[in-house]
Amino acid sequence: MTDAIHNPADELPIKVAARDVTVSYSGKQALHNVSIDIPDRSVTAFIGPSGCGKSTFLRCLNRMNDTIEGAKVGGSLTIDGQEINDKSIDPVVLRASVGMVFQKPNPFPKSIYDNVAYGPRIHGLALSRPELDEIVENALHKAGLWAEVSDRLAHPGTSLSGGQQQRLVIARAIAVNPEVILMDEPCSALDPIATARIEELIDELRENYCIIIVTHSMQQAARVSQQTAFFHMGNLVEYGPTEDIFTNPRDTRTQDYITGRFG
Amino acid sequence: MSIIAIVALAIIVMLAGAFYVGRSRAIAAVAGATAGLHSLPNYHGYYVAIWTGLPAFLLLAVYGMFGTPLVDRLTASELRRDAVVLTADFEAELVADTATRDLEEALTMLRARAAAITNSMADLRDASGSDRDPHRLEALGVEQTELVNQIATAEEARLARRNMLRDAVARAAAEDGASLRALAGFELVHAPRERRQLFLSDARRIATDGLASRSSDELDAAAAVMARHDTQMRNLFAGLALALAVAGLIRTRGQVAVAFRARNHVESLVTAMLFLSSVIAILTTVGIVFSLLFESIRFFSTVPLTEFLFGLQWSPQIALRADQVGQSGAFGAVPLFAGTAMITLIAMVVAVPIGLLSAIYLSEYAGPRFRLTAKPILEILAGIPTVVYGFFALLTVGPAIRSFFAMVGIDDVVTQSALSAGLVMGVMIIPFISSLSDDVINSVPQSLRDGSYAMGATKSETIGRVIMPAALPGIVGAVLLAVSRAVGETMIVVMAAGQGANLTANPLESVTTITVQIVMLLTGDQEFDSPKTLSAFALGLVLFVITLLMNVIALRVVQRYREKYD
Repeated sequence: MTDAIHNPADELPIKVAARDVTVSYSGKQALHNVSIDIPDRSVTAFIGPSGCGKSTFLRCLNRMNDTIEGAKVGGSLTIDGQEINDKSIDPVVLRASVGMVFQKPNPFPKSIYDNVAYGPRIHGLALSRPELDEIVENALHKAGLWAEVSDRLAHPGTSLSGGQQQRLVIARAIAVNPEVILMDEPCSALDPIATARIEELIDELRENYCIIIVTHSMQQAARVSQQTAFFHMGNLVEYGPTEDIFTNPRDTRTQDYITGRFG
Repeated sequence: MSIIAIVALAIIVMLAGAFYVGRSRAIAAVAGATAGLHSLPNYHGYYVAIWTGLPAFLLLAVYGMFGTPLVDRLTASELRRDAVVLTADFEAELVADTATRDLEEALTMLRARAAAITNSMADLRDASGSDRDPHRLEALGVEQTELVNQIATAEEARLARRNMLRDAVARAAAEDGASLRALAGFELVHAPRERRQLFLSDARRIATDGLASRSSDELDAAAAVMARHDTQMRNLFAGLALALAVAGLIRTRGQVAVAFRARNHVESLVTAMLFLSSVIAILTTVGIVFSLLFESIRFFSTVPLTEFLFGLQWSPQIALRADQVGQSGAFGAVPLFAGTAMITLIAMVVAVPIGLLSAIYLSEYAGPRFRLTAKPILEILAGIPTVVYGFFALLTVGPAIRSFFAMVGIDDVVTQSALSAGLVMGVMIIPFISSLSDDVINSVPQSLRDGSYAMGATKSETIGRVIMPAALPGIVGAVLLAVSRAVGETMIVVMAAGQGANLTANPLESVTTITVQIVMLLTGDQEFDSPKTLSAFALGLVLFVITLLMNVIALRVVQRYREKYD
C-alpha cells in the first residue's frame, strides 16, 4: 500500500506521518500496518464502516489508547518528525499539542469559563487572571461561541444546547494552542443546523490547525475535508484528495462503500 | 392432631382439587380449544383455588391470633358470674372493717401533709431575700422523705389488710361448701392483675396438659371451664373455615365459563396482595412513629421541652417513684447530644478520608486483580456484627489508647472513652463510605475522563478537577448516610464509650450517647409511666428526627446528582 503514503496536498508540509502502525486490544488486532502522511493546515477525513479501525487510529495520535487496558500500539508515528510513541515523550505533554473532540459533547460539570480555562490552568499557560480571561475569550471567539455565551460565562457548561456544548468542547481544546485537533464523529449527536455550524467552524479552523476528523457521513467528509482516507477491516484501503476518492475511487471496496453498497 | 390442623390440611388438599376443577372445567367449556377462552385455563384454576383457600385461611389466621384471648375472656366472665355472691360478701366485709377505715384515714392525712410540705417547699424555693432559708428547706426535705416513706408503709399495710380479708372470705366460703368455680372466680376478680394473668395461664396449662406452676382445686375447676370454651371455639372456627372453603369452591366453580375474565380477577387479587404488603410496611412505620410521638408527649408533660433540649444536666436515675417530689431527676439532654456528636465526628474523621481515598484508589488506580480481591474484603468489614466491633473497642483499642497515653505521661485516661468508640465506629463505617463512593465514582461518565485526559491532564488532575467535583453530590450523600448510621449506632458505644453523661470536649473522657441512654433507661425492670423511662422515647424521637433529616437530605442530594447524567 505504498501509494497511500504519498502526500496528496503537495504544497502543504507533512504534519503527521504514520508507518506500519498496528493496534491490538487484549491480543485482538484492530489495526493492520497503517501508513499515512497527513498535511498541516487542512482537514483530513477518516471514513469507513463501524469497527473499521478509524477511531482506533485516531486515538493513537494522542496516545489515548494508553488509557485503555490491554491496548498495544506498534509501528512508527511522528508529529513534526518527532516519534510520539517514544518513551521520552510524556503523553500528558503530547496531548497538550494534540487536542481531541469526542462523539458526544462532554463538557465538565463546571462553568463555561472553567471548562475553557481547564487546559490553560493545568498546563500553567496563564500567569494572571486577565491573561486567562484573554485566553478563554480568544478560544470562545475561535470556536464561534463568544457571542452566545459572553454574558453567562459563570453558567454551567452542561446548561448549553448540544451544538453549543460541542463548540464549547472545541473551544476547550483550542485554549491550549494545540497543533493538531482530532475529532471523533463530532456531529453524530447533533441536529443538522448544529452540524452545519460545526462544519463551518471546522473550515475556519483549518487555517491554523491540522484537523483530522472521523465521520460516518460521507457528505460531511466531502463537504469539510481536503483529504479522505477510507478504512476497512482495520486496513487503510485508500487515501487521496477528497475529490478523487469520491469521484474516482481506485479500490472497489471504496467504491462500494461510497455508493452505499455496504456500511 | 387438633381439629384445626386437620381442617387446614383438608383445605390444602381442596386447594389442589379446586385448581384442577377450575382448569378442567375451563377446558371442557371450549371442548379443548383453549384459544377460545378469554383467560388461559390455569387462570381459571388459580381463581377457583384462591377463593377456596384464601377466606378459609384468613379465618384460621384470625383464630390463631385472637382464639386464646377470646377463650380467656369467656372463661373469666363465666367464672366471675359464679362469684357474684362471694364478691358482694367481700365488699360488705371491707366496708364494715374498722381497721381498713383507720388505715385509709391515716393515709389521707399523710397525703395532705405531704402536699402541704411540697407547697411550702415550692414557696421557699421561689422566695427571695430574707425569706430565703436554705436550712428550713433542707429540714422540710428531710421531713418530706420521711412522709413519703410513711405513706408507702401505710399503703402496704392497707393492701395487706385487704388481702387478709379476701383470704378470710375465701376460706369461710370454702368451709361453707361454696362451689370451686365460685372460688376460682373470686380469686380471678380480686387478685392483683399479675396474679389474675398467672391464674389464667396456669388454668390454660392444666387444660392443655401442660405443666402449671401450681395446682389447686380452684385451678382445676377453672381449667375445666376453659377447656370447654376452648373446644367450642375450636370447633366453631374449624367448621366455619371448612364451610367457607366449600362455599368458595362451589361458587367460583360455577363462574367458570368461556367469557369469564379469570385472568383479570387473579391479576387484581395479586395487585391487592402486593398493595397490602406495602401498606403493612408503611403502617408499621407510621405506628412506630406515633408510639414514639405519644410517649414523648407524655414525657414532655412532666419535663418541659426547653429543659430537655437545652438542659446541661442528665441524671434520670434518681426519680424512682412518682411521689418523690423533691427529686425528679435532671433531663437536660445536651450532654447526650454532645457525646453523640463527638463520637460521630471522630468516626467520620476516621472513615471519610480512608473510605474516600480507598474508593478512589479502587476505582481509578487499582488493577482489576487487586480490585477483585480488595472489594470483597472491604465489604466483609461491613458484615462484622457490631457487638464484635464493640469488644474489639473495649478490649483492644481502649487499653491501647490508655497505655499509649500512659507512655506519654498522661495517666488518668480511662479505658472507656469517646476516642476508642469513635475510632472503632469509624472503622465500621469505612466500607459503607468506600463502597458507596466507589459506585458514585464509577458512574461518572467515561467521556468526562477521556475529555480530561485528552486535554493533557494527569490522572490525579483528572480525579481532583473533574471526577471529584462531578461525584461530589453522590459522595456527600454517602457521607450523610454514614453519619446517620453512626448517630444511630448503639452496640459499640454501649460497650466502649462508657455511661457517664459528661459534657466535655475531651475525647479521652467517657461520654454517653442518645442510643446508649435509651438502652440504659429501658433495660431491666422498669415502670412505663415514670419520666425516667418516658425520657427514652423522647430521646428516640430526637434520634429518629436526626436520622430522618440526614436520610432525606442524602437522598435529595443523590437524586439531584442522578438527574445530571441520565
